[in-house]
Amino acid sequence: MPGRREFLNTLMRGGILAALGLLSGAVIFRSRDGKSCSYGFDCSGCSRSKSCMLPAALEARQTVWQLDMTKCIQCGRCATNCVMSPSAVKCTHAFAMCGYCDLCGGYFKPGTKILTTAAENQLCPTNALKRKFIEDPFFEYTIDEELCIGCGKCVKGCGAFGNGSLQLQVRHDRCKNCNECSIARNCPSQAFTRVPANKPSLMRGLGKERPGTAAKKGGVDA
Amino acid sequence: MYIVRCTSFFLLFLLLPLVTLPIQRFPKPEFETNYTQPSTQIPVPRAELLAYLDVLVLLVALALVSWLVLKKRSRLWVFAMSVFSLAYFGFYREGCVCSIGSIQNVSLALFDHSFVLPLTVLLFFLLPLVFTLFFGRTFCAAVCPFGAIQDLVAFKPQSLGSRLNTVLGIIPYLYLGLAVLFAATGTDFIICRYDPFVGIFRFNASFGMFLFTGILLLSGVFIARPYCRFLCPYGVLLNWTSRFSRRHLTITPKECIQCRLCENSCPYDAIDFPVTDKSPESRPLMVKKMMMLTVLVPFLVLIFGYTGSRMQDTLAGVDYRVKLAKEVMALSKMQDAKAGSREPGAGSRKQVQDDSFEIKAYKASGKTESQVYSEASAVLKKFYLGGWLFGGFTGLVIAMLIAGRMLPVYRKDYVTNKGRCFSCARCTDYCPIKS
Amino acid sequence: MKQKIFIIAGLLLLIAVIGIMFTDLFSGKKQEQTNPYDYKMGEIRKTDSNQTAYTELLTIKPALVEIHAIVNGDGDRIYVAGKNGLEIYKGDGKPDGNFSFEGVASCMAIDKRGKIFIGIQDHVEVFDQIGKPAGKWKSVSPESILTSIAVSNSCVYVADAGKKIVYRYDLNGRLINRIGEKDPQKNVPGFIIPSPYFDLALGKKGELWIANTGRHSLEQFSDEGVLNSAWGEASMAIDGFCGCCNPSHFAFLHDGSFVTSEKGIERVKIYSPKGEFTCIVAPPSAFTEGTRGLDLAVDSKDRIIVLDPERKQVRIFVKK
Repeated sequence: MPGRREFLNTLMRGGILAALGLLSGAVIFRSRDGKSCSYGFDCSGCSRSKSCMLPAALEARQTVWQLDMTKCIQCGRCATNCVMSPSAVKCTHAFAMCGYCDLCGGYFKPGTKILTTAAENQLCPTNALKRKFIEDPFFEYTIDEELCIGCGKCVKGCGAFGNGSLQLQVRHDRCKNCNECSIARNCPSQAFTRVPANKPSLMRGLGKERPGTAAKKGGVDA
Repeated sequence: MYIVRCTSFFLLFLLLPLVTLPIQRFPKPEFETNYTQPSTQIPVPRAELLAYLDVLVLLVALALVSWLVLKKRSRLWVFAMSVFSLAYFGFYREGCVCSIGSIQNVSLALFDHSFVLPLTVLLFFLLPLVFTLFFGRTFCAAVCPFGAIQDLVAFKPQSLGSRLNTVLGIIPYLYLGLAVLFAATGTDFIICRYDPFVGIFRFNASFGMFLFTGILLLSGVFIARPYCRFLCPYGVLLNWTSRFSRRHLTITPKECIQCRLCENSCPYDAIDFPVTDKSPESRPLMVKKMMMLTVLVPFLVLIFGYTGSRMQDTLAGVDYRVKLAKEVMALSKMQDAKAGSREPGAGSRKQVQDDSFEIKAYKASGKTESQVYSEASAVLKKFYLGGWLFGGFTGLVIAMLIAGRMLPVYRKDYVTNKGRCFSCARCTDYCPIKS
Repeated sequence: MKQKIFIIAGLLLLIAVIGIMFTDLFSGKKQEQTNPYDYKMGEIRKTDSNQTAYTELLTIKPALVEIHAIVNGDGDRIYVAGKNGLEIYKGDGKPDGNFSFEGVASCMAIDKRGKIFIGIQDHVEVFDQIGKPAGKWKSVSPESILTSIAVSNSCVYVADAGKKIVYRYDLNGRLINRIGEKDPQKNVPGFIIPSPYFDLALGKKGELWIANTGRHSLEQFSDEGVLNSAWGEASMAIDGFCGCCNPSHFAFLHDGSFVTSEKGIERVKIYSPKGEFTCIVAPPSAFTEGTRGLDLAVDSKDRIIVLDPERKQVRIFVKK
């Protein structure tokens, strides 16, 4: 009796091992559709041929969450739905896009007449956006990330009246990289995606594109 | 090779924030003072190398705990290891990705080829299973931080009795089924969504989540390790692999002397008592039982499978694409009603929320109504099949449990239940026989 | 007994946990639909309807893929230019010809003889009335982004948002001089153009006005580049220019009043020749939120022609 039981056990063990092996094989050597792969994300920019058969999971990058501002509709859930409080989503400034405006749509409350840094003039609920005089008529705006709660109020103001240089981004020094991002689950526009950890930013205005060429198309300046 | 390449690359950037070069803006500012435009700082995520370090720690911890359980048979050392795991996988790693959650990543990767499954995540899924297959659930004993934290609060563990254990034991199967279903359809990662302990590890949780954790921990005072026993979906997989494990923790290192000292030592009801009442059931009765089972199993599978498929709408209702389609449909119906009847009073119908963020986002996305509907119906189709599979699986589980209770048992000694035992090694301390 | 209570308590708590999970997952509860940090655009987009003195008379829907520039030509013919082509309409909205060309027209002007000057990205191309090319001027710089053209009897003024400067050409495309370069000695503050909207127009007496959008002002220059006068105030209120950089476009009525358009808060307004706010032509509610580039033209009957690139319409407003 014990011998038979032992044999059955061994058999089952082998079976489970084989099943795990099959499962791993299926996820490691899975097929690719030519559009995306485990390098990920996009085969179009890849130097490998489309028929590349490198095991997918073996070469796969770690992924992190990031938000695509082009899809964002500014619902404010980034501020309220992160498992961290304050949120790991922060306003981030693409200085290269900023107009250094005196009347900054992201800094001042609508209707502000006298442009001073007085607290009652500031749009930011936590005074996280800082304004510094550079030279007439330019002002530099920076974000104090300790104070920023990622509500996106300034982002909306900057987008409506300015160049859209203020953008919401997941800051990966704060993000816990949850297996399932709580903001992503609640984002109404599915603006959150997993991106490769070595390219963690989806900011606009930092890359090679020249914003001016999109003139009048409501593109980058929108 | 690739891994080596990319990790060395990341070593270089380990602590340096990535600095992007400023580009020509529109239109370039002409500062006359010597102002230099700051560059936008983009913090680097946790280095990939560290993810491999986590796997290494997991591997070493599993090996060490297995050795402590099987060779050293020391509850104290196992406890020490569980504190370490709580500190490392819990408070340092802060939860993600864990073996329990990795079930979903693997499921989604099987069905969605664009989903990226890094090797580390796969290893987090595989390693505990493989170890369990050889040494029992040593992962649960002292590697999983969830178990460790629940072990700390089990002040007044009560025995629930075998019937209650069996009934409540169905829940993890349902949880596993739902988790795989929702992950495979790309709907949601519900294990992560209802992860009760990650908030503690991060010292940060919403009030609702905090309450949820509190209730679970409080129940854990009386029912030891309630998550592990009656919720954990990974526990189902471990339970079944552990049943066929090559070696397993034994209460006694030698022969059992029936001293009954260990009888109350297990807080998890995972010690099977001797069943010496040797009344071998009559052959005809056995045949009858077997025949009943051969009818019962397919019957239950079909009944539950059918019920599952009927629950298609409820299940799919969790999916965001289906939710959106419902909202869009309600909105267009409302608009039709408005356009159709111009008489006053027609507008008094309760307003559908046409300015919800979801609707706003849908309008901004430029998707057409039919696109939204076709996406949703594709999801619904998946849930039809998924409902059958989930229901069938549930039926099978219940049938198996019934069968388990129907079959005759003979046991001479006090032994650990290989499926349920967490290999925590508490019982070894109670056994008077020391190797 | 005590044991039983413990078990029941533990079980109840466990069931509560499972119940919470179950209801949360399947109840389909509505998510929070208010944004506690909402930037309330609604308030600042509201206007006093008594101030709106114009009403929309006519809407023309050009067939071009994108429309960017509008001019009122001889005989009140409306010229609309955009991506790869130009369309002409009569004053009553009936089509009256079209031709195509390569590129995205961003601005346009027509001289007395009917020559059409079109700014395409960084250079000017000249066409006759039937679309025959009559010249392609050299680009000043590859960074140039031409945003406005005006023609007088003797010269062509071209606004370059990329280089933040206005060029004065003769009618044959020879560069005569630059206008508006920063020169503290001549009291010229220089143009601040934070976004690619930089308009210019010729006033009642043919004098050159340029929108210095970053300073929220309209500035009058002589042909030699002397700054004669300027007006304009930055404000979200109805009498000022809102946002970082406005007005994005402007034109003149026959009495010398200014018609201005803004982005951010989309609105078209009229200012007296002295720069005092007079009335609203089209309030923000008349436009889709986020509309940018409302180019303007005025016809002989002082009808105000607004190009709405977002809705791809030419909208004609008349006094109520």
